[in-house]
Amino acid sequence: MKKRILCIFFMLLLCTGCGVSNEEMNTESQKSAVVVTMPITSEPEAGFNPIFGWGAGEHTHEPLIQSTLLTTTNDLEIGYDLATNYTVSEDGMTWSVTIREDAFFTDGERVTAEDVAFTYNTCKENSSVNDFTMLDYAQAENDTTVTFHMTRPFSVWPYTMALVGIVPEHAYTSAYGEMPIGSGRYMLKQWDKGQQVILEANPNYYGAKPKMEQVTILFMEEETSLAAAQAEQADVSYTSATYADVELSQYHLLSVPSLDNRGINLPAQLPETKENSIVYGNAVTGDIAIRRAINIGIDREAIIKNVLNGYGSPAYSICDNMPWYQNASQVEYDLEQAKTILEQAGWIEAEDGIRYKDGIKASFSILYPPSDTIRQGIAEAFAKEMEKLAIEAVPECVSWDIAYDMAQSQPMLWGWGAHTPMELYNIYHSQYDTQKARYSPYYNKTVDTYMEEALKSTDINQSYELWKKAQWDGTTGITQQGDIPWIWICNVDHLYFVKEGLSIPQQKIHPHGHGWSILNNVDLWEWSDT
Amino acid sequence: MKKRMLYIVLFLILIMIIGYFCNEGAVDTDFAHKNIGPSFYYPFGTDWMGRNLFFRTLRGLSISLFIGIIASSISAFIALFIGMTAVFGGKKADAIVTWMIDFMMGLPHLLLLIVLSMAVGRELKGVILSIALTHWTSFARLIRSELFQLKEKNYIKIAEKLGKGKVYIFQKHMLVHLLPQFIVGWVLLFPHAILHESSMTFLGFGLSSEQPAIGILLSESMQYLVTGRWWPAVFPGLFLVIIVLLLYCLGKDLQKYISQK
Repeated sequence: MKKRILCIFFMLLLCTGCGVSNEEMNTESQKSAVVVTMPITSEPEAGFNPIFGWGAGEHTHEPLIQSTLLTTTNDLEIGYDLATNYTVSEDGMTWSVTIREDAFFTDGERVTAEDVAFTYNTCKENSSVNDFTMLDYAQAENDTTVTFHMTRPFSVWPYTMALVGIVPEHAYTSAYGEMPIGSGRYMLKQWDKGQQVILEANPNYYGAKPKMEQVTILFMEEETSLAAAQAEQADVSYTSATYADVELSQYHLLSVPSLDNRGINLPAQLPETKENSIVYGNAVTGDIAIRRAINIGIDREAIIKNVLNGYGSPAYSICDNMPWYQNASQVEYDLEQAKTILEQAGWIEAEDGIRYKDGIKASFSILYPPSDTIRQGIAEAFAKEMEKLAIEAVPECVSWDIAYDMAQSQPMLWGWGAHTPMELYNIYHSQYDTQKARYSPYYNKTVDTYMEEALKSTDINQSYELWKKAQWDGTTGITQQGDIPWIWICNVDHLYFVKEGLSIPQQKIHPHGHGWSILNNVDLWEWSDT
Repeated sequence: MKKRMLYIVLFLILIMIIGYFCNEGAVDTDFAHKNIGPSFYYPFGTDWMGRNLFFRTLRGLSISLFIGIIASSISAFIALFIGMTAVFGGKKADAIVTWMIDFMMGLPHLLLLIVLSMAVGRELKGVILSIALTHWTSFARLIRSELFQLKEKNYIKIAEKLGKGKVYIFQKHMLVHLLPQFIVGWVLLFPHAILHESSMTFLGFGLSSEQPAIGILLSESMQYLVTGRWWPAVFPGLFLVIIVLLLYCLGKDLQKYISQK
């Protein structure tokens, strides 16, 4: 209800308020301003405060207003932003980072190592969205050198350093999120909560001057976003496969490849009930033959064509195209082979068209969250694919409050994808207390060990090899030949209607979340003169 | 008029039965035939997953009618019980009941429905219970005043003087008068129940999205209106309106018929 009222409100707003401001902008500085739409959920609840999740958390992106120590490049290797160099000690317990001297906050103060240390120590105390338990404390050695003392070796620390925006110690208050001061490419000019955010280029930025001087972000529903493009009120309008076939004369469709994957957990153990009355495991997917058959028995291309209108790519792991991707994850679609695996394992088709083994029916739910038509579509299409294997998958919509518990015993359609190998750890590594992975029961000691070693490694390139081995080392792992506790279906392309004349340079692969990532390189956007 | 009522009842029963058998067709996806407008094979067109909207609409109506019957029946009996408590339970009981009715009527209807449905756990159970627990108020008031009137009638008083028990009087003398009112009130609850079921589901607090309920059909269709696909919204909406109007007609006819008698 509230959402719909909001929706109508935004439509009105578009017709009236924003229209005016847009015209003003057009006359003033037509060639260096851009209006971008984003989903309502992208508006940062806690404001633009990196400590409370701005840029980090579930949906990661560059914080724009603040600088980060490091950054991820287009190939998702590590690059430098505020830092000029970093080293790690032999035992992986201390990281030493030197920062540049020519960086200033927008209030004129210089960015010092003190600010960096302050930011990380505050994160450790307060961050609700990121895990900082591996950090003991951060200490400024002098003006430009900061040392991180760790509680345990953590080789992917540079990826954390690429996420956390640096805040000024002298200007950090509880209201920082609403009036952020940073040293990044942009500054916050205006924030009308529930409506729009206006960013302006930072004139004192230490790097290359942003070409786009003003960025206006409007928060709206998908339908409204399309309407905004139809009315030519936005220059970049986010959209989804649902509307991708709409023809707009002044716009072209930009499809950005993503790491925004959709996968299904297959609880990899037989059912057991714990004292909290949650069931862990599933009698059908607990059989490895079922899991292997599903992995090669689904036609990923068909699902992408049908549900995403072709705007996606097949996914074989949680980290496709990342430097730590294990090539052995890839499988070929082979329906006959899948059937053979099932027959050999004793799953025989009965008269009702569904396989049985020892009286157990090859049937499970496929859960999906509400108000997500793409996931609903994939769940339905997945069920269709399962029919070919004579396995019954019943799509079922469950709200997030019960979804996590239900997914311990029933396959669920998830979305993941971030620029760090920690995703692998979060999904596949067992928890210390239960010896089960967090989201879906699975335990393999060898896989766990590889990931622990990868985190202990001091050389990031070496750690990539260990992450790969965790996926498949030649004898065991999480791939088709291994335990295959999750299957991955597709990476969903992020779609945008982009106004003719606006050139957007190549983007680094977007992570999960269809929001701020598009603005990662907004400073390089340009209007052509024609 | 009698004939018209019969036709309406028959039509509704037919929809319920046909809808019941449409379940398979209503949820079956066929991505090769998605977003097709109304045509010979798909009289109501297909949606974004190639599901046949004709079957989905029928199935949705049958679900709505089913929920309507159960919810309005429970609600009618609650109303009857509460009305009787007010009349036969003495002054205090009457005061409490009247206060309760006013209190319930004072609360915003849809909000109450949503809260109740959420508390019970949504789905079929939540929808039926929340509708049943909120729709008895005005009906209970009706029954209460009807019973009070009857109680003051001379022949009832005579029967009382003759030493007949309360139960006997209620069964022999009051029920005959109450029953027609009860039936009419019950039928008129129906359209309310159905509309509220659909609106709750439309807002996402009712049945979940894998069910082909009318509310789901309508909320799914919303996002396609922008692209010019009108059929997923128009047909289910139209038929919901028709069914509700028919039920309303039925109730009104019944009322007239009974008062004539």
